[in-house]
Amino acid sequence: MTAPGRGEGDMNKAIKQEPLQVQAYFLPPGIEADVTVAARFDTPDGPAELLVPALNEDKLRSIADELKRRREEYLASLTTADVVERIAAAAERWLDPAYPHRQLAERLLPGLTGYAADSIRLQLKRYMRTFRKKELLRFIGEELDDPLMLDEFRPRKSGGFSRAYGPELIFHVFSGNVPGVSLWSLAMGLVARSAQLGKTSLAEPLMAVLFARSLAEIDPRLAEAIAIVPWKGGSRELESAAIASADAVVVYGGGGTVESVRAIVPAGKRFVAYGPKASVALIGREALTPDRLNGTVARLAADIAHYDQQSCMSPHCVYVEEGGSVDARSFAAYAAAELGRLQLRWPRSALTDSEAYAIHDVRNRYWLEEAEGGGAAVYASPGGTDWTVIYRDVPGFDVSPLNRTLVVYRCRSLEDDAVPALASCGREGLLQTCGVAVHPQRLFGMAERLGRIGANRLCPLGTMLQAKAGWHHDGRFNLIDLLRFADIERGTEDDAEQYDPDFE
Amino acid sequence: MRPESAAIIRDVLQYIERYGNSAADSPAAERDFGALALQLFAFQCEHNAAYRNYAKIKRKLPGQLHSWREIPPMPIQGFKRSALSCEPPEEALAVFTTSGTTNPELRGRQYHPTFDVWDASMRTGFRRFVMGSVPRLRTLVISPAEDLNANSSLSRYLSQAIRFFGTDGSGTYFRHDGLAADELIAGLQDCERSGEPVLLLGATFAYVPLLDRLQELDVRFRLAPGSRILDTGGFKGQSREVPMDWLYGQFEERFGVPRSGCVNMYGMTELCSQYYDDTLASGKPTTLKRGPAWLRPLVLDPHTLLPAPDGQVGVLAHIDLANWNSCVAILTEDLGVMRDGGFELLGRIGGAEARGCSLAVEQFIRSNEGNA
Repeated sequence: MTAPGRGEGDMNKAIKQEPLQVQAYFLPPGIEADVTVAARFDTPDGPAELLVPALNEDKLRSIADELKRRREEYLASLTTADVVERIAAAAERWLDPAYPHRQLAERLLPGLTGYAADSIRLQLKRYMRTFRKKELLRFIGEELDDPLMLDEFRPRKSGGFSRAYGPELIFHVFSGNVPGVSLWSLAMGLVARSAQLGKTSLAEPLMAVLFARSLAEIDPRLAEAIAIVPWKGGSRELESAAIASADAVVVYGGGGTVESVRAIVPAGKRFVAYGPKASVALIGREALTPDRLNGTVARLAADIAHYDQQSCMSPHCVYVEEGGSVDARSFAAYAAAELGRLQLRWPRSALTDSEAYAIHDVRNRYWLEEAEGGGAAVYASPGGTDWTVIYRDVPGFDVSPLNRTLVVYRCRSLEDDAVPALASCGREGLLQTCGVAVHPQRLFGMAERLGRIGANRLCPLGTMLQAKAGWHHDGRFNLIDLLRFADIERGTEDDAEQYDPDFE
Repeated sequence: MRPESAAIIRDVLQYIERYGNSAADSPAAERDFGALALQLFAFQCEHNAAYRNYAKIKRKLPGQLHSWREIPPMPIQGFKRSALSCEPPEEALAVFTTSGTTNPELRGRQYHPTFDVWDASMRTGFRRFVMGSVPRLRTLVISPAEDLNANSSLSRYLSQAIRFFGTDGSGTYFRHDGLAADELIAGLQDCERSGEPVLLLGATFAYVPLLDRLQELDVRFRLAPGSRILDTGGFKGQSREVPMDWLYGQFEERFGVPRSGCVNMYGMTELCSQYYDDTLASGKPTTLKRGPAWLRPLVLDPHTLLPAPDGQVGVLAHIDLANWNSCVAILTEDLGVMRDGGFELLGRIGGAEARGCSLAVEQFIRSNEGNA
């Protein structure tokens, strides 16, 4: 007799698996919506489907009304300390590798976004650490001398009292390029005591939903003031309805997205946009000594590989100074080898036809330049488009087609060659992070020059994707831009004393 | 002209002569095509440094190839950068340039030391795909011909069509100040009256304002049976975009030329030969493009730039034996798919959009242009 079981088990596995259904939305209690499947994708455990609610203008308006009501009932009465504690408690859960939502995110995001699972795992936990209580306090403290201003009228150094109010309802338009980028915006909105209506992108609608669920685990009533709904961007009807209900609009995304939303926000309504930005790396000769070279290359390559350069903090190009132990051309070859190694560790996501062709197009451009005897060289992954490093012997600035395409510019001096090359990008307001590797004596001079042309963040190589608590997001604020202030002018409180009948 | 050039021209002309009317897929045509393409590539690598260096960087020098399919196609951006010519460029009889809509400073250039091959290719292809058994037709041209633009391959094409295949009443109706619509209408009325079949030739976008004008005047023609309409090039932002079905419907309604009398040509400055759809040749309306035996398409996988299997959408490359002086193989920015021995043109391949807040190439170009 043969032993039963094993063969049958194998048979069962072969049967087509029911897809895992993933709710890509988060609605306040009492709001019902018809649900449809918006997208299918693969996970290590089999196929999955994203469920999204069917929305129309009326439905969205009723969601917004419900959010405002629930905010008024509860969230508005919480103190800053209450809110910070709750957000931090939710984030702490995410820092436990066994936390079910984290595990779900780690299983679903690779199939959904295409980014390598190990890279996502690493980036997510680094990111979640920025929501610890100490970091949140730093953030608020950075922008408000007295965070209690969010709770009550507080005395001012110049006399009088002030209090800060957040919007009743914030409408967020999130981008889908970097998993979880939505969470900061939500956290800041909650600190402002605002109800949150978040429109996610179908490219990554998950993290905002999972984090809202975590908040609900900590404090269900707080989470009742949050709704996360994905829809395809550019739906005028839905966006207009959301904007009409909200008193502040926050947009993340490319130029097209920002402009299309800006066009329908009435003048006078608070509008905060985090539009398209480019970042670069600058490497001084002192970071190219024989003992530092490998580390420098590895840190730069990691900044390129994580999220396939899709973050606005990811470098498009690097300026490599002459005079180190290797020249810029050899540096390009080293960077190519390191990207080749990282391809094995964190494979690049699959690209669309046009994304792939854009990389070939850039390679061809510089191959042609090389063929003409121009000072270019191309180091390219064999076969496909996994990675590309282009060496150019004159500093310039060109936007990379991304997806692990790096331009290495040789320059004699970072200060004299690289900064001028970046000036036009900076003046357009398009330059954001500069990952730098320079001697301390040069750092402040570099910062001054880069700051002047428009850069707004200098950071170490290898951490370009991890902005620290308190950073000036795109050169602006995170919280203050959402707030309005009410003052009790100096003297008013003294004047009020005379109306006390007991006043002498 | 160097003797090697004269010899290669002779070989290409012989090929065109031999296979001008035969199906491109006969084994002999294919074998000779492959041999001649490799021979041309070797000739070009010898006399055209820019192409040779490019091939060398791509590790595809003549000795390294096993098949014509491996010839490294010159990206069309290469025609903007270098003088891709085996004969000295300054001795060229004519230089055709691309329209350079994005940057007029940077036009692609195709040098023509002689038109022997160009004319043989154009004439043979035109006869097969447009004329069929008809030797000549009254040919009316509604786009600028070579008298207005000496640097346009399309203009020369239109003028040669009249010379090779036009009857006495043929003519061009595009002047310095635009289309002479009234004259054209008079010409068409004349044809309608005399029952003489007409061949209308022009850029696709040129038909849109003409049709608008006819509608304005409420004019309709019933052109004689056997009349044909050739359009080429799409809309390129030069007129409002209309669906091709609408255009063909209008051709029938306004000119009385049925869909089976219409043909779309696909040509490029960077090529010396043209593709056509098979509609006139086969009598069955189709959008599938075919070329003469000396012009063959390859659809390349956009991810690897290697030939893609039939049925897969990819980037089009063309191997044109008539490109004897520049590059026998070129890489376009057009998308296509191979089907039944022809290809379907699917428009331009898009640029890469950043997925979120990172700066996209298009955005940067726009903001710089706004600045300038």
